[in-house]
Amino acid sequence: MSTGSISTVFDTSLFIPELRYGRLEPALGEMVTRAARAGCVSAHRLLRGTLATRERAGSTGIGKGAALPHARSVHVLEPCIVFARSKRGIEWDAPDGDPVRLVLLMLSPAELTAEMHVEWVARGAAVLRLQRQRQRLLDAGTFDAVAAVFGEALA
Amino acid sequence: MSRHADLLELQDLDLLLRMLGRDTCRTRLRRVGFSFDGPERLARRRERLAARIEPRWIGPYERAAGRYGRGLVAVRDRVCTGCYITLPTSSTPETHDALTLCESCGRILYWR
Repeated sequence: MSTGSISTVFDTSLFIPELRYGRLEPALGEMVTRAARAGCVSAHRLLRGTLATRERAGSTGIGKGAALPHARSVHVLEPCIVFARSKRGIEWDAPDGDPVRLVLLMLSPAELTAEMHVEWVARGAAVLRLQRQRQRLLDAGTFDAVAAVFGEALA
Repeated sequence: MSRHADLLELQDLDLLLRMLGRDTCRTRLRRVGFSFDGPERLARRRERLAARIEPRWIGPYERAAGRYGRGLVAVRDRVCTGCYITLPTSSTPETHDALTLCESCGRILYWR
């Protein structure tokens, strides 16, 4: 099994233009529920627990208003990403203390090796690395505009 | 919630611990911008979870995990995703969210 390209596992149903919740765990729950509805996840409550455990190992906030929560789990059926925004920002215990406004949730099935999962997460991080890409993601009015940023960042 | 929540959580926790235990993975993740400050907390959580799991499951789990890395694997299209053997129809449980043992590799099979 491989992750495939990010563009093949990201579609309009996995984009949340504005998160309903302003706290970390409920926001993650909202994103996991979205992944479950898309058929990528089997037991979404248990997966939420896995993601909470990952946060306990160290924040997945990477600074500059971005977070990359991620998990390799037996509850993930297919590699999947969910992208969400929060205008007001979410406290994520990021190293720079900034609230998070861009969240990229990356999920891998347990069959994927640790190295492949980490490589995939690193590719996701590339999307959020540059200020102008982050700003375009914040400003994007449609899924297509978001997908274009992903496509360019990963080209 | 699954009847086997503790064992399933243990499997995911072991996947995380194994990833964080590899220098190459930790270095790559640090380069992305992640920091890790709580692996001891995870180790304590693992101990507590393992102590709560029934002996009939924790024994085979630890044995298979020690041997192969993953002690519990999902069944996908009646295939064990640990050793990739096709499982006999007779081994299919009547309900989902069930656990059985793979007769080929000894891993715990999770029927989602």
